[in-house]
Amino acid sequence: MEPFVVLLPLFGALLAMPIGRMVSARAAELTTIAFVLMACLIAWVLFFDVAVGHNARTIQLFTWIGSGNFIADWAVKLDTMSVIMLVVITSVSSLVHIYSVGYMHDDASRPRFFAYLSLFTFAMLTLVTADNFIQLFFGWEGVGLASYLLIGFYHHKKSANDAAIKAFVVNRVGDFGFALGIMAIFFIFGSVGFEEVFQAVRTDAVVTPFNAADGAPISELTVGFLGLELHALTLIGILLFIGAMGKSAQFFLHTWLPDAMEGPTPVSALIHAATMVTAGVFLVCRCSIIYENAPDAATLVTFIGATTAFFAATVGLLQDDIKKVIAYSTCSQLGYMFFAAGVGSYGAAMFHLFTHAFFKALLFLGAGSVIHAVHHEQDMKKMGGVRHILPFTYAMMIIGTIAITGVGFPFLYDIFHFPVGTAGFASKDAIIEAAYAAGTEGRTGAYYAFAMGLIAAVFTSFYSWRLIFLTFHGKSRAPDHVMKHPHFPPNWMLLPLAVLAFGALFAGMLGYKSFVGDKAASFWGNSIYIAGDAHAGGESHAVEAYAAEATPPVEGDHAETPAIASAEDPAGAAHDEAEEHTEGYGEEGEGHHFPLWVLYAPLLAMLIGFGTAFAHYMRGSDPLRPGLLREGGILYSFLKNKWYVDEVYRFLFLNPSRRLGRILWKIGDGRIIDGLGPDGLSGLAGFGSRLIVRLQSGYIYHYAFAMLVGIGVILLIVRLGGAQ
Amino acid sequence: MQLGDNISFAFPEIWLAISAMALLMIGVFIDSKYHRFISFGAIFSIFVALFLVNFGTASENASLFNGAFVTDGFGQFSKSVIYVAAIFAIILSDRFMERERLARFEYPVLILLSVLGMSLMVASTDLISVYMGIELQSLALYILATFNRDSRRSTEAGLKYFVLGALSSGLMLYGMSLIYGFTGATTFEAIAAGADEANRIGLIFGMVFLISGLSFKVSAAPFHMWTPDVYEGSPTPVTAFFAAAPKFAAMAIFARVLVEAFPAATDALSDWQQVIVLVSILSMVVGAFSAIAQKNIKRLMAYSSIGHMGYALMGLAAGTSQGISSVLVYMTIYLIMTIGTFACILMMRRPEGMAENISDLSGLSQTRPGLAIMFSALMFSLAGIPIFLGFFAKLYVFMAAVNAGLFVLVVVGALSSVIATYYYLRVVKIIWMDEPAPEFERDAGPGVKGVAILSTVLIVAGIVVIMPFLNIAAEAAAATLF
Amino acid sequence: MTFAGIAFWAFAISTVTFGLLVILARNPVHSVLCLITTFISVAGLFVLMGAEYLAFLLIIVYVGAVAVLFLFVVMMLDVDFAELKSGFAEYLPYGVIVGVVLLVNIGLVVAAWQLPTDPQLAQPYLTGAEMTANLEGPNNAEALGMVLYTDYIHYFQIAGMVLLVAMIGAIILTFRERKGIKKQNPGDQAARKREDAVEVVSVQTGKGI
Repeated sequence: MEPFVVLLPLFGALLAMPIGRMVSARAAELTTIAFVLMACLIAWVLFFDVAVGHNARTIQLFTWIGSGNFIADWAVKLDTMSVIMLVVITSVSSLVHIYSVGYMHDDASRPRFFAYLSLFTFAMLTLVTADNFIQLFFGWEGVGLASYLLIGFYHHKKSANDAAIKAFVVNRVGDFGFALGIMAIFFIFGSVGFEEVFQAVRTDAVVTPFNAADGAPISELTVGFLGLELHALTLIGILLFIGAMGKSAQFFLHTWLPDAMEGPTPVSALIHAATMVTAGVFLVCRCSIIYENAPDAATLVTFIGATTAFFAATVGLLQDDIKKVIAYSTCSQLGYMFFAAGVGSYGAAMFHLFTHAFFKALLFLGAGSVIHAVHHEQDMKKMGGVRHILPFTYAMMIIGTIAITGVGFPFLYDIFHFPVGTAGFASKDAIIEAAYAAGTEGRTGAYYAFAMGLIAAVFTSFYSWRLIFLTFHGKSRAPDHVMKHPHFPPNWMLLPLAVLAFGALFAGMLGYKSFVGDKAASFWGNSIYIAGDAHAGGESHAVEAYAAEATPPVEGDHAETPAIASAEDPAGAAHDEAEEHTEGYGEEGEGHHFPLWVLYAPLLAMLIGFGTAFAHYMRGSDPLRPGLLREGGILYSFLKNKWYVDEVYRFLFLNPSRRLGRILWKIGDGRIIDGLGPDGLSGLAGFGSRLIVRLQSGYIYHYAFAMLVGIGVILLIVRLGGAQ
Repeated sequence: MQLGDNISFAFPEIWLAISAMALLMIGVFIDSKYHRFISFGAIFSIFVALFLVNFGTASENASLFNGAFVTDGFGQFSKSVIYVAAIFAIILSDRFMERERLARFEYPVLILLSVLGMSLMVASTDLISVYMGIELQSLALYILATFNRDSRRSTEAGLKYFVLGALSSGLMLYGMSLIYGFTGATTFEAIAAGADEANRIGLIFGMVFLISGLSFKVSAAPFHMWTPDVYEGSPTPVTAFFAAAPKFAAMAIFARVLVEAFPAATDALSDWQQVIVLVSILSMVVGAFSAIAQKNIKRLMAYSSIGHMGYALMGLAAGTSQGISSVLVYMTIYLIMTIGTFACILMMRRPEGMAENISDLSGLSQTRPGLAIMFSALMFSLAGIPIFLGFFAKLYVFMAAVNAGLFVLVVVGALSSVIATYYYLRVVKIIWMDEPAPEFERDAGPGVKGVAILSTVLIVAGIVVIMPFLNIAAEAAAATLF
Repeated sequence: MTFAGIAFWAFAISTVTFGLLVILARNPVHSVLCLITTFISVAGLFVLMGAEYLAFLLIIVYVGAVAVLFLFVVMMLDVDFAELKSGFAEYLPYGVIVGVVLLVNIGLVVAAWQLPTDPQLAQPYLTGAEMTANLEGPNNAEALGMVLYTDYIHYFQIAGMVLLVAMIGAIILTFRERKGIKKQNPGDQAARKREDAVEVVSVQTGKGI
C-alpha cells in the first residue's frame, strides 16, 4: 500500500493527457482527482499508523543507483515527519485539484494543467518519502520542474515565461549548493542514506573522508573547501541550507517567488504556499541532527530566516497585487519556520509548516475566488466591496486572516493546557516563544530572531487586514460590468475553502500537544531532533524503543514512560530530561519561565497591526491613500521596490553576466570556437576539398605523376624517418 | 615433382577456371538472348566454389607449389567474402545490363575470371603468384570498366585504369625485383628469413614500391587518382563490383604480404608501419575532403571508398593480430555497405536514363520512402554512426590502432570521420528535406531490391545478426597469419 | 679479357646506348629501330649467359612481333610526337625534381649494396668453362621444359588464364557484329538446296514469264 501513496498521483499525471484527449477534459480532471484522493486517504491512514501509532518504517523499493560505495535506493520512508508532509501534501493537493475544476473551467488545456498538478504531487511525495539524499534531490528537482511548468502554464504570456525561467534559474543557485552539500556528505560519510549519516552524527562516529589518510570524530572533522579548512558539519549544513534557501525563497534567493504568482492561482496555493516552498524547511528539519551539531550553520539559518520574515513582511505592506501580498506573506512565514529551526525548535518549525499549509492555501484559494469573480483582475486597487458579491469567500478569507495573524487567547492556556486560538496563533506563538527561550539559553541570533519575529507579526497583521479591507470593504472600484456580472464561484471552489478553513481554525489546537507540546518527544520519535535528547549516545535507540512500545499516545502515556525508561537506564534518564524540556515550552512553572509579556507580545503585535490597518483603510474616504508612509518618500520607494533586491541583482549579476555572455557569444563562441571550430573547419574543409579536386584533373599523366611524387615522398620520409 | 602435390586443395580455383571456360564456350554457341543463363551459371559456379572453399579439402591448411599457393584460415575467410561479393555483383548487374543494351555473356565470365584472380592472389605466399593473381584480376577489371565500349566515359575509364594499372604493376614489379635481388627469394617465408641488416635499405625500397603498387589496387592515396574517374565512367554494376570484391582481395593480400614477408620478428614492422600510417592518413584526409565537393553519387562513393581504405589501413598499420582481424571486419562491413549503396544507386533510374547526381535524390523521402530509408541508413552506416554496422567497423580499427600506440593516426581518423560525416549527412539531408525531384522508375528488378534490402537489414541489425560471428571468424582468420 | 669478356662489354654498351637512343630520338621510327637493336643486344647478352633459348625467344617474339607491331602503329597512326612533347618544357622542372628524388633514393640503395665477397659470384659474366660445362646436361629449352610443367605449373596456368582474359578483352572491345555487309558463309553455301535457288517454270510459247 505504501508505495501507492507516491505512485497514484504519478498514474494520474500520466493518464491525464491521454484521457483528456480521448475522452474529455472533465474525465481527465476526475481521474486525477480520484487518484489524488486515494493517495490522500492512504496518507491519512499512514499518518495514524506511523505518527500516532508509532510505527515508523522504511520500505525499500529498489536500488536506483548502485556504483561502488555509492548506493541510492528508492524507498518510501515513513516516519512522523514524512507522514505529516504526506498528509499536508495530499490533502492540500486534493483540495487544489478539486478547486481547479471550478477555477480553470474555461481553460482550453485543462488536462495538461491537471497532469502537471499530479506530477508535482508525485514529485513532492517522492521528496518527502526519501530515505537518502539522492532520492530527495530527485523529488527536489521534480517539484522544481513541475513548478516551472506550472508558473509558465499560460505560455502565451511573456511575463509567465519569464517568471518560470526566473524561478528555475534562481533555484539553480540553491540547487547548486544543495548538490555540493550532497557531494560533501558522500565525500565525508561515504554514504547518502539518511540513517547512516544521521547515525554517524548522532553517535559522533569516526569517519574517514575519501581523501583523508585517517578519520576523525565527526564533531571535530574538518575538510578543505575552496582553500579553507572548515568544520565538516558546518560546511554541510550551510550548503544544504543554500539549497533550502532557493527552494523556500529565503532572503537573497527569494526573488522568484513573487514572480511565480504568474501561474494560475491554484498553483500558487499548492506549490508556492503550502507544499513546495516548505521543502527547504523540511530539509533543514530532516537534517536537524546535523544543524544541532553545527551551531554556526544553525545561526546562519536563524539569521536568514529572521531577516526574511522581517523583510518579506515589510515588502508585503505596500503591494497592490493581491497574490503578491500573499506571496510575500508566504515568504515571511517561511522565514518564521527557518528561524524556528535555526534556534533548535524543529517541532515548532514543522508545526508552523503544518498550520501554514492550511491557512495559506485558504488565503490563496480565497484570493483565487476573488480573482475569478472579478474577471481575473489581481490589482486590489481595482477591487473593493467584494464582500457583497462573495459573502462566503469573505468569511473564509476572514478565517484565513485571523489564522495567519494569530488570533488567540493566551490567557486561556492555563485553563485548557493548550493554546486556544487559530492555527497561526498556536504555531507562531510557539516559534516566537521558542526563539525567546533559545535566547535565554544564549543561543546566537535567537534574540534577533525573536525581535524580528515580533516586528514581522505586526506587519503581517497589517498587510493581511489591509488585503481584507481593500478587497472586500469600501466601495467597489472595479469597472461596472465586472461588478454587475461577476463570476460566482462554483461549489467546486467553495468546498475546498470550507475544508481548509476548518484546518485553519483548529489545526493549531489539535496539533499543539503532539508537535510542540508535552507529547512531542513521543510524537516525533526519531525523525527530528528534540532539544535535550541529541547528545546522549544511546538516545535514538531509547526513543525507538519507546516509540515501538508506547500505547497509543492519545490517552496520554506518562505513566508508562518511566517504566520503559528504567529498562534502559542511562538513555531513560536522558529521555526524562527531554520530556521535561518539551513540557517546559510555554508553560509557566516548569522548565523555561517566560515573562508574561513574551506570551502576550504576539497578540499585542497582531492587535497593533490590525488597528493600524483598520485606521487607515476602513476609516476615511480614500482607501487608497498612502497610509503610514508618504508616497514618494525614500522608505516608501524602498519598500515599494522590494528593497531594490531585483535591481541590485540586475546590476550585480544580471547585467555583468549578460555582458559576459555577449562577449563569450560574439567573441568567445562566434569568433574563437566557431571561427576555429565548426566555421573554420568547414571553411578548411571547403578549401581542402577545392584543392584536392583541382588535382583531380582527369589527365592520365597528372595521375601518373602524382603516383610518382607519392613514391618519392614516401621514400624520402622512410629515409629520413626511420631506416637508419 | 610439384605436380605431385595434392591439387585437391586448389579445387575451388580449378573449378572456377574450368567453369569460366565452359561458360565461355556455352556463351559463344547459344543465342545471345540466353545471356541470363550464363549469369546463373556463373552464380552457381561461385556458389560451388564457396562451398568447396569452406567444406572441401581446400578448407584444410596446406602449402602447394613451393608456397605459390596456400590454403589457410585467412585465405578461406577472404575467398568466402570475395565470392559472396561477386555473387552480389552479378545479381546487381542483371537488369541494368539489359536496359543499357550491355547484356553479353562475357560479363559474368569476366567476373568469374577476375574472381579466380583474386582467389589465387589471396592464397599466395610468393611474390610471383601474387603478381600473377593481381594481373589476372586486374586485366579482367580493365575490360569490365570498358564494357560499355560505345560510351566515351566508359572507354576513358577503362583506358585510364589500364594505363595507370600498368604503371602501378611496373612499380610493384620493380619493388618485387628489388626484394628478390636483396634476399634472393620470392616466397614470403624466405624473404622474412633472408632479411638482415646488410640488405635492410634495399629491402625497404623494394617494400615501398610493393606497397605503392598494392596501394594503387586498394585505391589508397596518393595512388587513388584513378578511382573517381573509373568509378564514374564504368557501368554502375561494374563500379559496385570494383568497390567490393577487388578491394577486399587487394587489402587481404596487402595484409598477407606485409605480415608474412616483413614480420615483426625481423624489425621490418616499424619500417612498413610508418609507410602504412602515412598512406592511411593521406587516404582518410583525401577521402574526407574531396568528397565534399562532389555532385555525382558515384564519384562520391569513390572518394568514400578512398577514405574507407584509409580506415582499413589503420588496422593494418597496427600490424598486430587484432589489427589484421579488424581490417577483415572492416572490409567485410564496408563491402556490405557499399554493395547496398550501389544497389540503391542502381534504383536511381528515370525514363531518360540513369540518374547519377546527388541532387537527383532530393525529396526521395516523399516519392520513394522505402528507398529513402535504405539510402539514409546506408549513409549513416558509411558515416560510422552508432548502432549501424559501420560504427563497429570503425570502432574495431580504432581499438586496434590505439592498442598499437598509433595515437596520431587515431586522432586524424576521428577528425576526418567527422568531416566525412558531413557529406554523408548531406545526402540524407537532400533525401529528406529538399523539394522532391521527379520520381524514379520502379522496375529495378527483384535482384537489386533484394540486395538493397538485405544489406540494409544487415547494417541495421548487424550488431546482433552478424557481428558476433564475423568477429570470431575474422580473429581466427587473422591468427593464421601470425 | 677473353672473347666472352669482349662480347659482354660490346653488347652491354650497345644495349645502354640504343636504350638511350630510344627515348632521345626525335623521329619515332628511329626510336623503334633503336628498340629493335636494343632487343638484339640483350639477346646477345642472354647468349653469353648460356640462355640461348631466351635469346631466340626475344628475337622471335619481341623483334619479330612486338617491335614490328610498334613500327606499324607508329607509321600508321602518324602521331605527331613533336606536338606531344610541346608541353615538355612546362612540366620539365617538376619531372626533374621527382626524377632526381627517385634517382637519389635509388642511388642510396645501390650505394648500400654490398657485392658478394665470393670472387666467383662477383664476376659479372660466366667464364667459358662454365658455359661449356652446361653442354653436358639438358639443353636450354629442355631445361625450361623440365620445370615449366612441374615446378612452375602454377604460374604457367595462371599465365594461360591471363592470356585468355586478354583474348576475351580484345574480342569484346573490338569485335562488332555488323549487319548488312556482304560476306561469304560457307555453311549456307553448302546447305543450299536446289529448291531454294532454282525454280522450274514451264514457259508457254509466245508469252513471257
